[in-house]
Amino acid sequence: MPSFRKRLPRPLSPITYLVRNPGKTVPLTAVILLAVLLIAGVVAIMDSIPYSIRTIYGYSRLLLFAGPRGESQLTQEIVERFQRQKEVPVERIAVVRAAPTVVRSIVGKWPFAIIGFEQKDLAYALGRMGTRRLEGRLPKQGMAEAVVSEPVARNRGLKIGSVLMSPDDTDNFSPFPVKVVGIAQSDEWFMFADKDYIRGNHFPPIDVVLAFAPTLEDQVRLGAWARSEFKGERVQLLSFYEVERDAKEMFRILYAILNVVIGILVSVIALMVAMLMNIHQGQRLVEFGLLQALGHTRRRLLARSLTEASLLVVVGWILGVALSFGLLATFKAILLDPQAFAMQLWNPQAMAYTVAVPAVVLLVACGTVVWRFRRFDPVGIVERRLV
Amino acid sequence: MIRAEGASLIYHDHGREVAACRDIHLTVRPGEFLGILGPSGSGKSSLLYLLCGLKIPTHGRVLFDGRDLAAMADDERSRLRLGEFGFVFQQPYLVGYLSALENVLTAGGGRTDPDHALGLLDRLGLAEKAHRLPHELSGGERQRVCVARALYGRPRVVFADEPTAALDRRNGEQVVRLMNECRDGGALVMVTHDEHMLEEADRIVRLDDGEILSVEPREGRWREAGISNGIFREPDPLR
Repeated sequence: MPSFRKRLPRPLSPITYLVRNPGKTVPLTAVILLAVLLIAGVVAIMDSIPYSIRTIYGYSRLLLFAGPRGESQLTQEIVERFQRQKEVPVERIAVVRAAPTVVRSIVGKWPFAIIGFEQKDLAYALGRMGTRRLEGRLPKQGMAEAVVSEPVARNRGLKIGSVLMSPDDTDNFSPFPVKVVGIAQSDEWFMFADKDYIRGNHFPPIDVVLAFAPTLEDQVRLGAWARSEFKGERVQLLSFYEVERDAKEMFRILYAILNVVIGILVSVIALMVAMLMNIHQGQRLVEFGLLQALGHTRRRLLARSLTEASLLVVVGWILGVALSFGLLATFKAILLDPQAFAMQLWNPQAMAYTVAVPAVVLLVACGTVVWRFRRFDPVGIVERRLV
Repeated sequence: MIRAEGASLIYHDHGREVAACRDIHLTVRPGEFLGILGPSGSGKSSLLYLLCGLKIPTHGRVLFDGRDLAAMADDERSRLRLGEFGFVFQQPYLVGYLSALENVLTAGGGRTDPDHALGLLDRLGLAEKAHRLPHELSGGERQRVCVARALYGRPRVVFADEPTAALDRRNGEQVVRLMNECRDGGALVMVTHDEHMLEEADRIVRLDDGEILSVEPREGRWREAGISNGIFREPDPLR
């Protein structure tokens, strides 16, 4: 007689049930997978908005804007106060002019500044932005020329020789066509021009101070010092601190709404999946009754049921996360990257939101199973009273 | 081995007392084939469930090897059923997604001995169908798988509750014959309303309205079966 020892799986292993009943387990896994995909996708795309803000305006980590508010004569005084202070080392102070322009984001056009540097500061500014290589050259004094970073070039579809600003472009107006003469290989977003051209052709007629500290830590301290130093004065400050604060404030309500929507979504999905699980458990009453009558303990059967539910939910979640990651990576590569739209592929917040689905499904499923087993009478099954 | 002492099973049905079994005194002895016979609703199945511990008597007690089944925890009674008893129910219940062989392996107290299970299926004429799923088997074949499952753990007692009810006469007789032949010294307690199925029984308990009417030894059969533990040469202390 042949030995079947090696060929046989453990008949009552949870895996055996899950693998042998794809008609029941695959749809349940698929529902969990799709729920995770939906939530991960929505949260990742929502999160890409503040992430875009941090990415596009991320260059503000590397400098501190300090401009006079309503009184253009204050600029020199601001410069002197930066020079006088001894609390934080300052590597360089540049007096610049800025003009408004736009970049494209996943939710439309966002304002962006083209900064006009004096010739002596241009190379330093590029270095400060982490430029690895400059394709082309720097703008010449007084000329309608600009150097942009690689993400900006990608976002706006610019090449060397392209027009960045022009008289007939309302979003990116300049009285003369401003051509791109250099593309800086950097991860930061920036557009730099010659200060004289901006001063001669753009509003507002205000010189702004850019203060650069030697390190990122010093830059943070410099921002803190400036907020304290100029508090209540006619000085407008802009650093990454303000960008972060404004982004958080802007998205606070949005995230509150998102939480409610996802909460409802999770509840609906969890109830639906739990209902399906309940139906499947109901269909297995004969099996449970039979096994209990044969002598399998209630505890063992309960543990088996809970393991099956857990495996189903965990597998659904893992597949959902993997599929979300794959689809978002594809979405990013095909649609976002060519336009330099920012999105975090590995987004812990999106993953955290998706955990709610398997957690609630598991909770409801386990509750259902426990409730069923508590009231279960195997004799009713084998006597066909409960079938 | 199993002894019922004044065991009763009283249900409350909408405030009315219904006695499924009343004051049962009965002993199941090692190796015997005990038939429980009675009309529908006479309490045969309830008596079987009392004897195997699936039901707990509301009065009196049922002892297995001197231990009161009611005093055992639920899990302990379960382990007792899995380790010491085998079951064949009225319907040939099998786990639908397991093969015949795997269904047999679900019994037997955690022991996994596929060769023994296959040997049983072979003796029951199902070796060729060991890897078929239940829906690929006929009703008679499914019930034979149930018999193999009941015998797989080498139980001390096999309880069969109307095992032939869902089968035609020929298949029914075959199942009872196989169950009796393959039990390897274990006791067999079989409930039926068809006396014809108890031709091989050593004793027949007649039941009506929840009470034992008679316990009839069938000595001829006993000797014919070659079992010589002398049960019927000793007086039954309770009946």
